[in-house]
Amino acid sequence: MLRVEGLSVSYGAVQALNDVSLEVPPGRVTAVIGANGAGKSTLMRSLAGLVKPQDGRVRFGDEDITGRKPEDVARMGIALVPEGRSTIPELTVEENLKLGGMWRSHTQRGTSLTRVYSLFPVLGERRSLGADTLSGGERQQLAIGRALMCGPQVLLLDEPSLGLAPLIVTQILELVSQMAKDSGMAVLLVEQNAATALRVARTGIVLNLGQIVKSGPAQDIANDEELRHAYLGY
Amino acid sequence: MIDFVNYLLGGISSGAIIALMALALVLVWRSTRVVNFAQLGQAMFTTYVALTVRDLTGSWILGLVVAMASGLVLGVVVHFLVIRPVKRLDTSGAIIATFGVLIALEALAAMVWGGDPEAFPPPIDNSGYEFFGRTWPFSPYDLLVLVSVLVLVLVLSIVFTRTSVGLAMRASAFNPEVARLSGVRVSRMLVLGWAIAGLVGAVAGVLVAPLSTLSPTSFDIFLVFAFTAAVIGGLDSLVGAVAFGIGTGLVIALVSGYSDSSNAPLVALALLVLNLLFKPEGVFSHGKARAV
Repeated sequence: MLRVEGLSVSYGAVQALNDVSLEVPPGRVTAVIGANGAGKSTLMRSLAGLVKPQDGRVRFGDEDITGRKPEDVARMGIALVPEGRSTIPELTVEENLKLGGMWRSHTQRGTSLTRVYSLFPVLGERRSLGADTLSGGERQQLAIGRALMCGPQVLLLDEPSLGLAPLIVTQILELVSQMAKDSGMAVLLVEQNAATALRVARTGIVLNLGQIVKSGPAQDIANDEELRHAYLGY
Repeated sequence: MIDFVNYLLGGISSGAIIALMALALVLVWRSTRVVNFAQLGQAMFTTYVALTVRDLTGSWILGLVVAMASGLVLGVVVHFLVIRPVKRLDTSGAIIATFGVLIALEALAAMVWGGDPEAFPPPIDNSGYEFFGRTWPFSPYDLLVLVSVLVLVLVLSIVFTRTSVGLAMRASAFNPEVARLSGVRVSRMLVLGWAIAGLVGAVAGVLVAPLSTLSPTSFDIFLVFAFTAAVIGGLDSLVGAVAFGIGTGLVIALVSGYSDSSNAPLVALALLVLNLLFKPEGVFSHGKARAV
């Protein structure tokens, strides 16, 4: 569904991504794992249009979307949940959600809102409260909810486990993986927390210093002890 | 005591107008993080347009409407012609560029309409109401000003809190990246911010002109007051701009009443300094402290 071909990104003299190619198929979770500074967030930000790659292509279906603006990428159906719980604390919970997918029809947005509230009941209970009153886990749910309001075909999740209790992380990721199965949505998950990510993912990709060092079935990567020691640090 | 009441009454309508001017500054700040020092220059220009239309047609309302429309257009023009190109290079450059726009507009107005102060007659009676055997410094025109400001603020608050466009504008102000990732065309929201600010400023200009006279520089003093109100309110906060706009108007009225009107800008400056010393993030702001 989403295909990355030979993507290279540098910030000045620092090369963050070097000739990265990967595929994000529908209906399942693909996990990109790697240590801090491996280029994971850069990958996500360039897919969403926030960073312009120097080289390489991003294809969405038959379309080349390399270098498109983030708002256009979002409107095409690729939604990024950026690192660090990207909610807007000055807005209420419901306003944060309604921000997503404003270009869609009233009915579509209503359906999505109902769906988000049934997936994350706590958001429904707090809909009129300020987003700053939510806990970390609830804020991550809100950030994912906002992305879902865009009715995405591809969901990009950047480091959702950051600062959250392991149990909450597992809950959220299992929900996302179930959603992918049910709706055929493609999910690209980027994680430092490799063990959790590989549990919900079908495919695992290991990124190190901007390059892919290994990709394959998530199970195999999780069991590859040498790889774990060398790149994932556990 | 009766003096105190008199001074306060006299300050209400100018306070309401300062609130509008502060609101215009805040709208621009929220959209582009630029303090538009040309805001009242734009308002002065559109007030001249209103006066011209009024003189030609005899209709004050028509003058106001044309001024609002030209304020909207002028806001967009200034944004595209000056702010956007300069801001791409340097944000503080854009703020200085607004001074350039102010000077250019004042020069242009002097060329078109002349530099001498002109009277802008109020559309309705501007002599104070009589109650309890005395004349109070509050006229039917003051009432008109107050009602107009209330209606405009109400309409704006409905737009900002109840509509999708308003939500998109607020989100673009608070977190442009998240707004873009949600599909909001943030650059359009910036233009819209400048346009609405231009419209609000135009209304303020037309309303304030009958309280004094109109000349290319006659609104300059209001910039001091509006800027003070906007900064104390937090620069980010629409509610803060309105509250402290009215507050500033009342303080100025008291200062002018008990001492002399030429002391008013000094007092505004003192308030601004106190605010920056003790609560630099502003009273209503959501954001972190600004550097002084």
